[in-house]
Amino acid sequence: MGVIHGEEMVLNIGPQHPSTHGVLRLRVKTDGEIISEITPVIGYLHRCFEKHCENVTYDQVIPYTDRCDYLAAMANNFGYVVAVEELMELKVPEKVEYIRVIMAELQRIASHLLALGVYGLDIGAFTPFLFMLRDRERILDIFELTCGARLLYNYMWVGGVSHDLPKGFVETTFQFLDYFEPQIDEYNKLLTHNKIFVERTADIGVLPADVAISYGVSGPNLRASGVKWDLRRNAPYSIYDKFEFDVPVGDGAKGTLGDCWDRYYVRMLEVKESVKILRQALAQIPKEGDVHQALPKKIRPPKGSIYSRTETPRGDLGFYIESDGSPIPSRVKMRSPAFTALSVLGEIAEGWMMSDVISILGSLDIVLGEIDR
Amino acid sequence: MSADQEKLIAELVEKGLAGDMEPINAIEDRVLRSKAKAALAKAKRAAKVAAASAPAEEKPAEEPPSDNPNQKFGKMIEDKFPGSLDADLNDTHIQLKPDNWFDIATWLKSEPALHFDSLQCQTGMDLGENILEARYNLHSMTHDHMIEIRIAVTRDKPNIPSIEQIWRIGDWFERETYDMFGFHFDGHRDHRRMLLPEDWEGYPLRKDYEVQETYHGIIVPKVKQGWE
Repeated sequence: MGVIHGEEMVLNIGPQHPSTHGVLRLRVKTDGEIISEITPVIGYLHRCFEKHCENVTYDQVIPYTDRCDYLAAMANNFGYVVAVEELMELKVPEKVEYIRVIMAELQRIASHLLALGVYGLDIGAFTPFLFMLRDRERILDIFELTCGARLLYNYMWVGGVSHDLPKGFVETTFQFLDYFEPQIDEYNKLLTHNKIFVERTADIGVLPADVAISYGVSGPNLRASGVKWDLRRNAPYSIYDKFEFDVPVGDGAKGTLGDCWDRYYVRMLEVKESVKILRQALAQIPKEGDVHQALPKKIRPPKGSIYSRTETPRGDLGFYIESDGSPIPSRVKMRSPAFTALSVLGEIAEGWMMSDVISILGSLDIVLGEIDR
Repeated sequence: MSADQEKLIAELVEKGLAGDMEPINAIEDRVLRSKAKAALAKAKRAAKVAAASAPAEEKPAEEPPSDNPNQKFGKMIEDKFPGSLDADLNDTHIQLKPDNWFDIATWLKSEPALHFDSLQCQTGMDLGENILEARYNLHSMTHDHMIEIRIAVTRDKPNIPSIEQIWRIGDWFERETYDMFGFHFDGHRDHRRMLLPEDWEGYPLRKDYEVQETYHGIIVPKVKQGWE
């Protein structure tokens, strides 16, 4: 009897593959079914976002930010306008702040629903995906009611928002929340505690906290590793300090702390927290107020630079803006949370089976539009 | 403008300078409100200029230690690594020389009082006149403080020590910065382009970048200036 020698094989996944969530190519070195090395190759969706920004005025950048993370466009608008306003030292009316928080939290629910549903789909559970998309559709309806767009909004402007809330918005949203909250239990029954799903995700792709921090992983992925870090709580921007909500962290309930199941479940818990924030914001929002009142006539931030961070559904979104005092930004750098999340894939996917790589990749919830910019 | 209005605006500006924006925002008349705001901005600017020029004249011998993290940690770096600062300390950033950046970065992460465990953002900047500048935004999760490091190099010798092995995200950040600006990060173990193809010519985010005309026989569309 001799020893069976395995031979390493280089395999390509993507760039066109349904489980890569966009146009991502993975160069995988496999030994049989075991992954020995994995290298993400990105750039297929590069649209020169940062170069474009150097040729348009500050407000014209906003539609481009929509197209970076197209699943959480509101959150990207939010991050950008907060950065520019901070650079200009502009204070926006209270009503606008409330509207922005409401939109950002609705967007968080919509984005997480898609992430959770598609994650189930990656692993082979088709039904929960349909349930979650059905409810996401209702949120998109609310956005459509507000600003006419369903996916790419250009809703938040520097100093305000494009449209005031329509008549009956608060009631509609309350109705949606009343409908939506019981659905979360249904998702849990369908997917979260499903035996097959747990087998495919628990103990897989464990991401320790120190590795996560070193790789700049943020948002739900970081919190799933047990780090209680949320910019809405730790460095509050806008009016997030006015609301009461918890920061859910992973606890390794089904396996090890920081495994795929933790990353999945933290998102599910965050949806609940967003509902909590929404209920408070909708109850407190001022009735009166002009959302266009603080719009500056000319957006010309003073000379200087700023690095500003906000918490999007995918993590810390940073904008580094350098202004030379003209109406056109001299440099806009977007520090994208999905970019840093993907960079850790090579580290945590090594040693797992081929089918687990899809599970690990899905649990990181990446959007290629934001990675390639 | 009537004398009454002038007087009113002067009062409002005084209040605004004291931090009370309510009365200005409460004005119904848009024209008057914008006039008041413009006057306030002017007054603020004047105050800033005065504040900036004042300390330069006095230059007190013993300044109280500043609370600003860039000042505080910049001073600690200067004490630990004498001669590594490239410019005077200021509130917005710490300007370093590229030479012993790797040692400084290692120290910044390992020193318990600083413990910058997270590289938030790394990017480049084309300052013109042959100068490129790399910028690092560091953050400490444990102490919750942030600093910004800037390292300027020339285009002829754009070499900066790589910090890829200290903060692992530096790997991809530095590759992207190299891709877009043409820095060279010495000691980077995988120094390749990140977003653009390996055989692309030039560095797009430099201000004088010219798009190559064809790429493998494909005509590359030119960057349009303004709205065409």
